[in-house]
Amino acid sequence: MSFFSSKKIVRFGVSMLAVLLITALLEPFHKEINSTTVAFAFLLVVLSSATFFGRNPALFASLIAMLCFNYFFFPPYRTWAISDSQNLVAWFAFTLTAIIAGELSIYARKRAEEAERGKLEIGRLYDELHEAFEQASQAEALRQSEKLKSSLLDAVTHDLRTPLTSIKASVTTLLEDKKEKLLDEEGQSEFLEIINEETDRLNEFIEGMVGIAKVEANALHIRKAWSEVQEIINNSLERAKNHLNSNRVLVEIERDLPNIFVDASSIAEVIYSLLDNAAKYSPPDSKIRVSARRGENETVEIAVEDEGRGIREEMREKVFDKFFRDDEEEDIHTTASGLGLGLAIARGIVESQGGRIWIENGADNFKTKFVFNIPIGDD
Amino acid sequence: MSEPKKILVVDDEYQITRVLKRSLQAHRYDVRTASDGETALDTFHDFHPDLVITDLQMPEMNGIELCREIRTISQIPIIVLSVKGEEKTKVEALDAGADDYITKPFGMDELLARVRATLRRAPREKKEETLLEAGDFSVDLASHQILVRGAEIHLTPKEFELLAFLVKNNGKILTHRALLGAIWGGNFTEQTEYLRVFLGNLRKKIEPNPAKPQYILTEPWVGYRFNSGE
Repeated sequence: MSFFSSKKIVRFGVSMLAVLLITALLEPFHKEINSTTVAFAFLLVVLSSATFFGRNPALFASLIAMLCFNYFFFPPYRTWAISDSQNLVAWFAFTLTAIIAGELSIYARKRAEEAERGKLEIGRLYDELHEAFEQASQAEALRQSEKLKSSLLDAVTHDLRTPLTSIKASVTTLLEDKKEKLLDEEGQSEFLEIINEETDRLNEFIEGMVGIAKVEANALHIRKAWSEVQEIINNSLERAKNHLNSNRVLVEIERDLPNIFVDASSIAEVIYSLLDNAAKYSPPDSKIRVSARRGENETVEIAVEDEGRGIREEMREKVFDKFFRDDEEEDIHTTASGLGLGLAIARGIVESQGGRIWIENGADNFKTKFVFNIPIGDD
Repeated sequence: MSEPKKILVVDDEYQITRVLKRSLQAHRYDVRTASDGETALDTFHDFHPDLVITDLQMPEMNGIELCREIRTISQIPIIVLSVKGEEKTKVEALDAGADDYITKPFGMDELLARVRATLRRAPREKKEETLLEAGDFSVDLASHQILVRGAEIHLTPKEFELLAFLVKNNGKILTHRALLGAIWGGNFTEQTEYLRVFLGNLRKKIEPNPAKPQYILTEPWVGYRFNSGE
């Protein structure tokens, strides 16, 4: 709140009024009260005026004060006679106070304004710095995401080109051989088999890409119905039959497990991916255990465990990323080096139906345990 | 060719190495494979291949590094498997010592042709030959005479040097840098524009139709390849 009105007339006027007010208040008692008291009262007014209105209004006030003091409070009363040098001293005191206080007040005000400006400046600089920092980190984030995008693109094109290269090389070998006749029956069959295998691989990859695209576009076409967990698991096992690396599968389903309201075929897809993954990363003839039980918060938990090497703590989030491939993984017991999409799709499916998927340490001899839960669903 | 030539195939993708191995073996080459640079170098020391075919995109040691490593110990021909669009990598590989490249996916006929050509060119012996002959071209290094389709043509000293170099490296891809370095020296390896103009002039002198060159072929972004017309 600033008393410092810019209107001169206000400043001067109020100062004068203040003096007159004090005069009016004290005059009736001029005989009883000490002139010193009056002087101090006027001094206070002058001081206040200087503080709030500045030097000049205060000087004006001190002049008025001096006149009032002389006229009303100094004998002979109600005369302008300056009977005494005390009056001059009083006036001098008022004036000096007015000047000093006035200047101090201006000075103080200026400093305050500067401080205020300084504060604003700092505020502004901070905002600029903040802005610059934001932009820099956005640019960095963009760079990272571009880098990520291009490395994803590299991964995709690499995975598409590799089977194509094998197919082209095989086909051209066979075509040339019509002239060259270097291959025997077995040799020819070998190349034909390679073409077949690689075509399947290419197809699998494309399916994976479509799957990921659907997950990302939220276009999963979920059609929920009350489904029996046992049946879902059986479907996935049936599908996984040929992919299991002579693994033995154990199935443990809790008694009286409720049915779940889900899109059965996509859940079966998830279990199939986990089985496929388990087979890939565990030794031949090892056990794989599929289990289902009630979970917390009205969910059903389904787990797939394998006896493979296990997944390191640091990796347990990353494995669900698209195109994830653990470069430190050496002996993968399969010719397929993995497409890196199955788990990402699995997560997409599970999360789109309100569930969660994670990795735990398995029990007994099972090193890895993939678990996902699905809400049972309401009626 | 009594003894089968030995080829070392290096690629981290098993699917590719098995196809190349089977196909090359069918064509009577002795083939060994490696799935990474380290193993390749180990095998190199045991196997002593006559030719190396390597992929460029490999984790850990990539194809270019492998070329460099091999070049420190041997001059045998190296063919790299490249990818369309990765021109910079191709050039880098060639500058690192690779002799030729082939783009995936490729036909085996094309690869076999490159293999044969590079093996033929192979021993980089310091044989002092004064007469270079290839296809329509006959270059006499002693008398500085060049015959194209039997007819003599007149070239400036630098043009002669360049053409001789091209004939000597018939069929082989030559990067801008390699050409500039060979003829003008190490300080001028960035002057691709100059080279382009220079070759344009040379084409005018030797090509039946300079607008559609058949001898000096451009490999976009990479360099040039000489085709002697055989």
